[in-house]
Amino acid sequence: MLSRRSAFKAAAGIAATATMGVATGAQAADRVVKVGMDLSLTGADSESAIRTGNGAILAFEEANKYKEVPGIIWDAVKFDDGTATAGQYDPAQAATNARKMVSDKNYIAALGPQMSGAGKAMSPILSEGNLAIITPSSTNPDITDPKFAAQYRPKGKAIYFRTVTTDAYQGPNMANYMAKVVGAKSVYLLDDSGAYGVGICDSFERRCKEIGVTVMGRDRLDPKAADYSAVLTKIKSLNPDLLYYGGVGQAGVKLAKQAYEIIPKMLKAGGDGILGTEMLKGVGFPAVEGWYATNASPHKDEGDTQVKVFSDKFRARFKDSPDDYTLTMYVAARAIIETVKVLVANGKPVNRDTVRDGLQSIRMTNSLIGPVEFDENGDLKNKVISVFRITKNAGKPLDSIDDQYKYLGIAPMS
Amino acid sequence: MTLGDLWLQQLINGLNLGAMYSLLALGFTLVYCIMELINFSHFNVFMVGAFIALGVLKLMGMDGQSVILTGLPLIGVLTLTFLITMFSSGMIGVGIERLLLRPLRAVTGPAAMILTIGVSYILFNIILIGIGGDTRNFANPLPSVAWNIGGAVLRMRDVLIWGITIVLMLGLTYFVQYTKLGKGMRATAQDPEAARMMGVEVDNVVALSFFIGSALAGASGLIFGLYYNYAKVDMGFAAGLRAFTAAVLGGIGNVPGAMLGGVLIGLIESGSSQLIGQLWADVVIFSILVIVLVFRPAGLLGRQAPNKS
Repeated sequence: MLSRRSAFKAAAGIAATATMGVATGAQAADRVVKVGMDLSLTGADSESAIRTGNGAILAFEEANKYKEVPGIIWDAVKFDDGTATAGQYDPAQAATNARKMVSDKNYIAALGPQMSGAGKAMSPILSEGNLAIITPSSTNPDITDPKFAAQYRPKGKAIYFRTVTTDAYQGPNMANYMAKVVGAKSVYLLDDSGAYGVGICDSFERRCKEIGVTVMGRDRLDPKAADYSAVLTKIKSLNPDLLYYGGVGQAGVKLAKQAYEIIPKMLKAGGDGILGTEMLKGVGFPAVEGWYATNASPHKDEGDTQVKVFSDKFRARFKDSPDDYTLTMYVAARAIIETVKVLVANGKPVNRDTVRDGLQSIRMTNSLIGPVEFDENGDLKNKVISVFRITKNAGKPLDSIDDQYKYLGIAPMS
Repeated sequence: MTLGDLWLQQLINGLNLGAMYSLLALGFTLVYCIMELINFSHFNVFMVGAFIALGVLKLMGMDGQSVILTGLPLIGVLTLTFLITMFSSGMIGVGIERLLLRPLRAVTGPAAMILTIGVSYILFNIILIGIGGDTRNFANPLPSVAWNIGGAVLRMRDVLIWGITIVLMLGLTYFVQYTKLGKGMRATAQDPEAARMMGVEVDNVVALSFFIGSALAGASGLIFGLYYNYAKVDMGFAAGLRAFTAAVLGGIGNVPGAMLGGVLIGLIESGSSQLIGQLWADVVIFSILVIVLVFRPAGLLGRQAPNKS
């Protein structure tokens, strides 16, 4: 907000430029454009929500500070799709947020959501309003799949872009990794009944069957229940090589605790839903040790100079370390900024339609996560699934993702 | 793991669940049999109790799974934690009764019950805003002693939770049946007006029943934390709903009924997870509840409620 004195100066400035003629008029009337950020700030995922959102905030603050796009002031507005009753993201709340963004013409683009269940609720509404959104972490493939276009983008054009790969790769590639690299021959599958969990589990299961890994069974967890000992006992009696869990931390934390008691020696793996501080803090060592997890984006640690510079800036600003989805969020925000920069440089109007079309054709060759280009459905062209394993590093903070999730490499493509 | 071992293990799992549900159901049933009030704030007094216990253990230097105690220090720490947790949650119950429910006591209808739902959400949001929504690692000072019975494993924790549940239930039964205050409670339950005329301090008796019910919820919160090693703001709803179902299944207002209902639901849950899948456990539990209530509307052991003539 402007203080009274600076408001006076600004007014004086406008008056001054007005007398100088029309040429500089555009510069004086800086336009505030809004970018809606849908995050799960309430409930189980609040920590990662803040960390992810801060990635975008940093990008817009820098763009404002250096006046990167002439005549444009960025205003990133947070929307919370988590509710107390759901205890995590709530698709109904996500839909309400999407409606709010669509109904205000000042929103030219959006970022988020973190969760696929929220994305499924938002996508059709955003499509009606032709408001492009870039998700830093929701990986359910259906949302961008042309097969479901009538449901998720009724207006036809891609509006759901991603700076991550989808579970169409995350599940199968991880199945390849567990079978070919780790050597698992049989698996029991659990999902957490959410859109993301069921989807990634489905794709993992399909790939297992294709490559001859025996699927010994599949069950679904109630993420609000406390006790999974009965299903874990059943798994123990079946004795598969691997337990694969598709889902997020709400059930994942309890599952990991109880699995350590009941099936301590079995291999255990999951997707990006269990890649987070919640696992390290909520489960703790030794129970959390040995879980495999994946991430639907390239993993760059601070050995990479570009990432090091970013991490230092991030730590200085937020007193917190970024994680991989902070990077994808930062890159998503950069994609919007770059798009608008090109529009302004070419003298084109900046509105939802031009921003959407601009995003569709953007090419960032050297972003923090490598090359960024979107295909005609909004999916990232560069598809990389990174594999991690929780391996205790006693010398480092025990709740730090960078230190306790050991990067193992890239999962083989199908 | 043979089939016999598997079912023995599922029996142990079911009894653990049952003990947890029974403990929570006791508090429901106690308040109901004195006041004929379904106290929905019980769910979240349980949750707050778990967080109080978490805080007390943290103050004593126990965080996560790093500190394991045995012998006297273990008994000392546990006793102290139990006392503080039960007293604090008991006082929350007294506060709810004294400040909010007493003014409503003369009002008939669902007002008081709706009020307890409101209180439940207030407690939920206080913890959500004050502490946060993520899963907290609960200290576990218990040594991980376990015995193998064939392929099944019986842990000391399992035995402990059964033991505590039985002791609390026996204590409660003794208190209600044989002590003077307990007689006052039963008299109030039967006929508050007559009890008052006979010199029973009805207000104190009601406050006491809230204290005991909420203290039991606090104890359950602590036991839940020690057993599952986590505390989370939404833990009250899922466990509380099952416990409430247990109380109704056994016959609400009936102390042995709460135990029976809890154990039955625990066993059904683990059995159906084994046979059909975890996915269907709730469907089976609530179908059985519906069937039992159709044929025995007062629950398995019959319902006990004050005579409001």
